[in-house]
Amino acid sequence: MNHSFIDKYSDINSPIHRFDPRLKFIFVILCVAIIVSQPRGQLLPYAFYGMMVISIMLLSRIPITFMLRRMLFVLPFILMASLFYPISIYIYDSASFPSIQNEAFSVAFSIFFKGSLSVILLILLISTEKFHNIISGMRMLKMPKIIGVISALMYRYIFIFSDEAMKTSMARNSRTPGRLKVNKIKVYGNQMAMIFIRSWDRSQNIYNAMVSRGFNGEFATMKEFKIKKSEIALFTLAIIMFLVIRVGSEIIL
Amino acid sequence: MPAGISIKDLNFSFNPGQQVLKNINLEINPGEKFGIIGPMGAGKSTLLLHLNGILNGSGTIQIGDTIVSKKTLPEIRKKVGIVFQNPDDQLFNPTVEEDVAFGPLNFGYSREEVSEMVDYALESMNLKGFEKLVSHHLSMGERKRVALATVLATKPDVIGFDEPFSSLDPTMIKQLLNILNNLESTLVIISQNYLPLIACCQRVALINKGEIKAVGPTKEIIQNSDLMLENGIDLSLYKSICNDFFHSPKN
Repeated sequence: MNHSFIDKYSDINSPIHRFDPRLKFIFVILCVAIIVSQPRGQLLPYAFYGMMVISIMLLSRIPITFMLRRMLFVLPFILMASLFYPISIYIYDSASFPSIQNEAFSVAFSIFFKGSLSVILLILLISTEKFHNIISGMRMLKMPKIIGVISALMYRYIFIFSDEAMKTSMARNSRTPGRLKVNKIKVYGNQMAMIFIRSWDRSQNIYNAMVSRGFNGEFATMKEFKIKKSEIALFTLAIIMFLVIRVGSEIIL
Repeated sequence: MPAGISIKDLNFSFNPGQQVLKNINLEINPGEKFGIIGPMGAGKSTLLLHLNGILNGSGTIQIGDTIVSKKTLPEIRKKVGIVFQNPDDQLFNPTVEEDVAFGPLNFGYSREEVSEMVDYALESMNLKGFEKLVSHHLSMGERKRVALATVLATKPDVIGFDEPFSSLDPTMIKQLLNILNNLESTLVIISQNYLPLIACCQRVALINKGEIKAVGPTKEIIQNSDLMLENGIDLSLYKSICNDFFHSPKN
């Protein structure tokens, strides 16, 4: 089965890829916090944040088409969240909506930009580092073991689901000349149930295989974690630039 | 160092009243290549999972001088490697190298040692150059070899195989037999493919309904048609096909 791994570009050699996963994780958390804390309604700062994020994306050498495809998954949710504000105002007070529509849409844009930029940063984090290295890095930052194990197993088991879904779909298609003629909901329902049962079984086998090779809840990695001075300097510079946009916009606008 | 296996009075049930293993007693010598045969659902895989403590029945299992118990699990899992029937269940990392390194890293070896172990395991399985490949994109034969490499990396004293010859073509079976015959570890092999088993194992145990029905030299047990038939293994089709095929005038 051909899976699309979320970290399939993690082997690219780029300045961003070479960063220690712990620094990358802290950087993303701080940047998301700065962007999200931007007061609603000010749109100009997002252009600067956007430039910063795009620069990081270009430096990482992750194909833009890949980023866009990933964004497409979450974009509907962000759009829904941002449009919810003006729509709710319109429903609540349609008479005065024309007078406040500019402000309402400006808030909607703010929510949209905050969401999109945060998601791009998160996609960059998981695309520029192997997933288990991120988990190991987060463990070193004192993330509870149970969260690490759940995240790592979830990542592994997601492929079992897609594997079983592909297999059962193949089996169904091979016995479906043209379109499904029987009760479709029943067929899809049965297929879903089968996928769950088979995935449960396989996840049990995989867990046994992991345990028999010494798995004890910690995901060890071959990567040597080392933060270089140059990385700290670049990290600090980038954070300062985000802060300058944040504080500057507050003073100027 | 290959280790012997001693199983005494092993009983196990998944649910109360449904005993899967009944009073199993078995001695396997260090370095021996030992087969376990029996019909489907006889309890063969369940027995194998007891060897490194994945399942815990009542009774005693001793690997070398270590008794399998909760306290000794880390040591036992270093000593006993299991190659599962479906390689896809065993290969869960993105690349071959990471899959092979998974065991050694968990056992706490240093990065240099792990790197050496990965090299050794891949070289033993003729998989040099496969390090960065995605395990799931390999052929079944290659995946089976990677699955064996994942276990071989830590050089376990005992290796258990669950149906190693299934889904392999005759050439791959021959390659796998060569590999198995050259391994120094004690091997416990479960297989429904009796011909490779005869070529590989000195002795076999016949299991049916969770009980050991016979233990002895492989050929002796498999040639005993009455015993095999009594225990749900009908080899008459194999025999007639082999007779027809190998003794027909064209051959």
